[in-house]
Amino acid sequence: MDIISVKNLVKKFEDVTAVDNISFTVKKGEIFAFLGPNGAGKTTTIHILTTLLKPTEGTAIVAGHDVREDSAEIRKRIGIVFQDSSLDRELTAYENMYIHGKIYNVDGRDLRKRIEDLLKFVELGKFKNKVVKNFSGGMIRRLEIARALLHRPEILFLDEPTLGLDPQTRAHIWEYIKNMKEEHEMTIFLTTHYMDEAEQLAERIGIIDHGKIIAEGSPEELKKRIGKDVIYLRFSDKTENCMETELVKNCKILPDGRMELGVENAAEALPRIFEAAMKKGQKIMEVSYHSPTLNDVFLYLTGRAIREERGNKLDVMKNRRKRWGR
Amino acid sequence: MKAFITLLYRQIKRFMRAKSRVIGAFVNPLLWLVFFGLGWSKVFNFPMAKQIFGGSDYLSFLAPGIVSMAIFSSSFISGISVLWDKEFGFLKEILVAPCSRKEAIMGRIVGDSLTSVLQGAIILLMTFTIAHSLKISGIPYVILLGFILAGSFVSVGVILALKMTSMEGFQMIMSFLMLPLLFLSGAFYPIDTMPAWMQALSRINPLTYAVDGSRYFLLGTSKFAITTDIGILLLLTFLFAGVAVYMFERTTID
Ligand SMILES: Nc1ncnc2c1ncn2[C@@H]1O[C@H](COP(=O)(O)OP(=O)(O)OP(=O)(O)O)[C@@H](O)[C@H]1O
Ligand SMILES: [Mg+2]
Repeated sequence: MDIISVKNLVKKFEDVTAVDNISFTVKKGEIFAFLGPNGAGKTTTIHILTTLLKPTEGTAIVAGHDVREDSAEIRKRIGIVFQDSSLDRELTAYENMYIHGKIYNVDGRDLRKRIEDLLKFVELGKFKNKVVKNFSGGMIRRLEIARALLHRPEILFLDEPTLGLDPQTRAHIWEYIKNMKEEHEMTIFLTTHYMDEAEQLAERIGIIDHGKIIAEGSPEELKKRIGKDVIYLRFSDKTENCMETELVKNCKILPDGRMELGVENAAEALPRIFEAAMKKGQKIMEVSYHSPTLNDVFLYLTGRAIREERGNKLDVMKNRRKRWGR
Repeated sequence: MKAFITLLYRQIKRFMRAKSRVIGAFVNPLLWLVFFGLGWSKVFNFPMAKQIFGGSDYLSFLAPGIVSMAIFSSSFISGISVLWDKEFGFLKEILVAPCSRKEAIMGRIVGDSLTSVLQGAIILLMTFTIAHSLKISGIPYVILLGFILAGSFVSVGVILALKMTSMEGFQMIMSFLMLPLLFLSGAFYPIDTMPAWMQALSRINPLTYAVDGSRYFLLGTSKFAITTDIGILLLLTFLFAGVAVYMFERTTID
């Protein structure tokens, strides 16, 4: 059963088309990830699906209700962790949870018990009476996840859940997300521009770039598009022509001049490739190969890499500004 | 009712937590009362002076003005702090919630009004130690009037904050709106002695009617009829709160 179903969705801001005619579905109970670089339209899509923005064109059905018509019904059934924190920094962890519970109609003893359990789940039990202002980035993220779970949503939206966090904290949060799915049988829609995150968590991935979904499938399916192994070659002379050898499944010249070859098995294919190059009189300067990553898939589809910036928010902002400057 | 009570609870919690802000809210009006008030009270110590100030000494004239000023600034600033909720993201938490936005914003307005009036009430009690011809019987009425005043300026603050797109606007409002409203309210000097154009402006200033009404209850004298004061203030409060609710119901992200 599709719990989210999006058809020809478009969102335009004055001069930018942030979401450009996308269609996709998310099945009940799966973890679906939108993977894409900064400005791809991930947050805009989440805002539409969570009824905070009206679509310009197209339809989106979330948990059985149309985002244009039944926003109230959808709001009851979803939980969201925004890209930027939406906690009240002056209040304690407990108070933030309590206020959330109240406005989502969770009451009395039930509410208190859920708060205690969830704070324990994200290991913030000891900090429940501490003011959020003094929390670290990871603690804030964990508290937000706990808060989003408080009213037991059918669908949980996570907008870049580990943006700007250190590797240990990120791994930690991945654990929670996996456990959460196990325990609560929830559907999770997340966005990220980290390959490893999409690979770790998602059962299905939509790769989004410039507002368009350019590929969709499980991580394995996506990687299979390139082949089991990827080989990179650099020749002494720039070649324009791809290599047509039997073991090569696909081949592409990258913008940096290297040749990218998708093969079943690099160890078998490499001798053949060397042979073929020698016959043509091409001199190979550099060879590398590895099993394909989602990064290779993205590179293959768009000709550029998703930046792996682990930067803080400020860096991201700087990048955005740079992008706008162009 | 849940969203209303919850947001009211939140505003009160926040108020109690922000100790420095609470202390600041008391210090400012008291500085005015003590330094401004005591300073000028000796200047206005001649026989004709009482006539200017409606029959009371300057400190007693000033005291109701200071109480209104305290409630005014505190409520206005709490209303504008919706801007902080925008900046720090809490606003999104409310916007995406399945609750009535009307209730949520009303809860906030009432919560902020209560905390502002609480501050006003404490200032009011303190003024009794300095100003000597105030009527104790007026206290509950002044507090009620202060609540209406607070409701109106929290709403104005909310409206401005929802309109503003950056924090920069805040400083502008402080100097271009708050100070003129104070000077045109008759809190520091009687409206009758102002130049005609200033008098005209002060008549369209909601704060004027709160100051005048408080004087009626504390001193027994006022420029306008007390029904006029209360009537205009109530009308404005409903109007501004209505606009605030209307705008909040239509607020979107960005
Ligand atoms: N309110 C807005 N007004 C105008 N343009 C906007 C608005 N919100 C987003 N955009 C533009 O729409 C595009 C998509 O933005 P969006 O925030 O959805 O990207 P994203 O994939 O979430 O990127 P990031 O990784 O930076 O969060 C960007 O070019 C952005 O500048
Ligand atoms: Mg985003």
